[in-house]
Amino acid sequence: MDNAVLSHWVTTEETRRALPDLARRAAPWLTRRRFLAGMGVAGSAAALAGCATSASSGPVTQSAGAISIQSNLSAPQAKASIEALAKGFSAQHGSPATVNTIASETFRTQLPSYLTSNQPPDLYTWYPGSLLNGYAKKGLLLDVDEAWQTMANYPAAFRTLSGDGAGKLIFVPTSYYWWGFFYRKSNFAKWGVTAPTSWSGLLELCRALQAKGVAPIGLGAGGNTPWVASSWFDYLNIRINGAQYHRQLLAGQSRFDDPRVAKVFEQWRTALPYFDQQGTALSFQEATTSLLQGRTGMMLIGTFFADAAPKDTIPDLDFFQFPVLDASVPLAEEGPTDGFFASSRTAHRADVLAWLKYVATAPAQELYIQNSSGTVLPTNPDARDSGTPLVAKGRAMLAAAKEVTQFFNRDSSDALQPTADAALVRFIQKPTELSSILTGWQAAAEKVFAS
Amino acid sequence: MLLVFVLVPLAVEAFWVFWPALQGFYLALTDWDGVSAPRWVGLGNFAELFGDPIFRTSVLNTAIWLVLFGGVSAAGGLGLALLLLRERRGVGFYRAALFTPVVFSLVATALMWQVIYQPDGLANRLLGALGLTGWQHAWLANSSTALYAVLLPALWRQLGYVMVLYLAGLNGIDPVLYEAATLDGANRVQQFRNVTWPQLRSVNAVVLSVIVIDSLRSFDVVWAMTKGGPYHSSELLSTYMYATAFQSLRLGYASALAVVIFVLAFGVIVTYLVRAFREEAS
Repeated sequence: MDNAVLSHWVTTEETRRALPDLARRAAPWLTRRRFLAGMGVAGSAAALAGCATSASSGPVTQSAGAISIQSNLSAPQAKASIEALAKGFSAQHGSPATVNTIASETFRTQLPSYLTSNQPPDLYTWYPGSLLNGYAKKGLLLDVDEAWQTMANYPAAFRTLSGDGAGKLIFVPTSYYWWGFFYRKSNFAKWGVTAPTSWSGLLELCRALQAKGVAPIGLGAGGNTPWVASSWFDYLNIRINGAQYHRQLLAGQSRFDDPRVAKVFEQWRTALPYFDQQGTALSFQEATTSLLQGRTGMMLIGTFFADAAPKDTIPDLDFFQFPVLDASVPLAEEGPTDGFFASSRTAHRADVLAWLKYVATAPAQELYIQNSSGTVLPTNPDARDSGTPLVAKGRAMLAAAKEVTQFFNRDSSDALQPTADAALVRFIQKPTELSSILTGWQAAAEKVFAS
Repeated sequence: MLLVFVLVPLAVEAFWVFWPALQGFYLALTDWDGVSAPRWVGLGNFAELFGDPIFRTSVLNTAIWLVLFGGVSAAGGLGLALLLLRERRGVGFYRAALFTPVVFSLVATALMWQVIYQPDGLANRLLGALGLTGWQHAWLANSSTALYAVLLPALWRQLGYVMVLYLAGLNGIDPVLYEAATLDGANRVQQFRNVTWPQLRSVNAVVLSVIVIDSLRSFDVVWAMTKGGPYHSSELLSTYMYATAFQSLRLGYASALAVVIFVLAFGVIVTYLVRAFREEAS
């Protein structure tokens, strides 16, 4: 052993021996037992209630700097649109805005964390509904009444939608869209079929397509998008039982094992044989590809699917309305609305309100539409839509509706959505188990309503 | 002064590990949506577990997972280790190849297998080419195949890991023991039973702990591939816990599920270790 190593060994050995002595000198009270007892006290229930479970409150110091926008618009064209919007805002307002794009699923699950963090993002893309009302009640959302003062030309329905149910405005809608049976005009022409106007016509069309070896109805309720199946439930329910009953059901005022709900599924059952076999195995993006490639004939979907479709296919798209089943039921359509809300703990309140005013203007909404697939409708009545025949038809359909519903999760809650996913996918795969499906759905829904 | 080296890590550990764990136990006794203040419900969450059919499904699935994932990876890992133990030409390549999946992130693994399981993916095309069209399934969308379809990629990854653990254990056995056994006329099977297996006891304890912990915390691969679906048919305790916490925003109930998972993992491992130590002592 050479000297350097030896001396090192000696010092470490000395330190090791000296350690307990040192400890006693540094903290004479600290015996092992006392320390453990101290840990026990620190872990008592009273102390546990603090910390991680409480959100901080109090006024926020305002500061300058870029406003941050948390965006769940991850489809390529939608993402490009919101980034164009941010650029437009910076150019006009002088202060920058940064967009953070986050996958929709992550966005939704992280929303409570964003909102309760010490420095929450300023603005969020989202939709109005029960989720926001819940956060508003907890004082997490910014009162955006000031922005609404510049939106006097907006229809009353949008204003109602943007309230928190307690008289405060918390949301600024910027676009809305419609759902329908989408198809490719060129494919329908090739197969020699036309769009139906009644349920029996729809089934006939399905039989014609099946005879040509095409899977008539695409779905896209597999992968990460099982919620797409809810569009069928929503539409059948608003056609058979009406929008009012639909909302009551989704608010927990009626039961999912009610005979009226069973009727919805009985009707659905007549179309099930024409569903694409892979309906619950493919996500809606993959199902869109199947539709565009002519492997499926049509698909009940919202216009957002076009944001992921090749731009040159868009002029070839057309849709027909979900057939009316009972003429005595007031005509309702799904017309989900999208927009922005803001955190009440923002450090850039003035800039945030400037953003909300900006996105509510006609030029901003036109800018958004030009950069996207152009299939959404602007909420500002003075803004021009993309002007295509497809959009004109969609707009007319929504305008003719007596009632507009948002979508399953928007009319109920994101917590109720998974209960619908489980029930509907199971029904599509095992339609004979209907009664046990409905009992299970009701049980799962009760838990959500109770919490 | 030197006390700092003990107390600082302890404080860090207490703050980042013990404290959140204790919070979890506390939350299991409350009703909490993640935003407002938690409401005390006592053992209400645990009572609800008993009547919850999805909880029952996930316990059953977790048990299946534990047996298949644990059993196959332990037996397979040991088998592979025995096969690849002796230095032969190219053995390093095989060891590396089998270990490669461990290096991949599980989410990347899941994406790859998702493509394989697509309705027109590799698995179905292979079956079609073999003329087994009747065996083709939408593997991840079918409630009777989803759990096993997800199990396979998890196993594919775990096998290499367990193999490495056993290789280390086998290399640690004194060759003299085998020489003695050979001199005594023991054949291969007898050598394995009387020399190899007893010598692997400490490795077995590690493998068992690793397997139990890994199967109870198997989450990423299932969540990335099926999210526990279709209709809860591939739900594990871990995925159900996540869905309850972050989809239904019932963090109290989810914490109760977490406590169940903890008790199961801790229970199995402690029982084994206590037994192992007792055997050693006697």
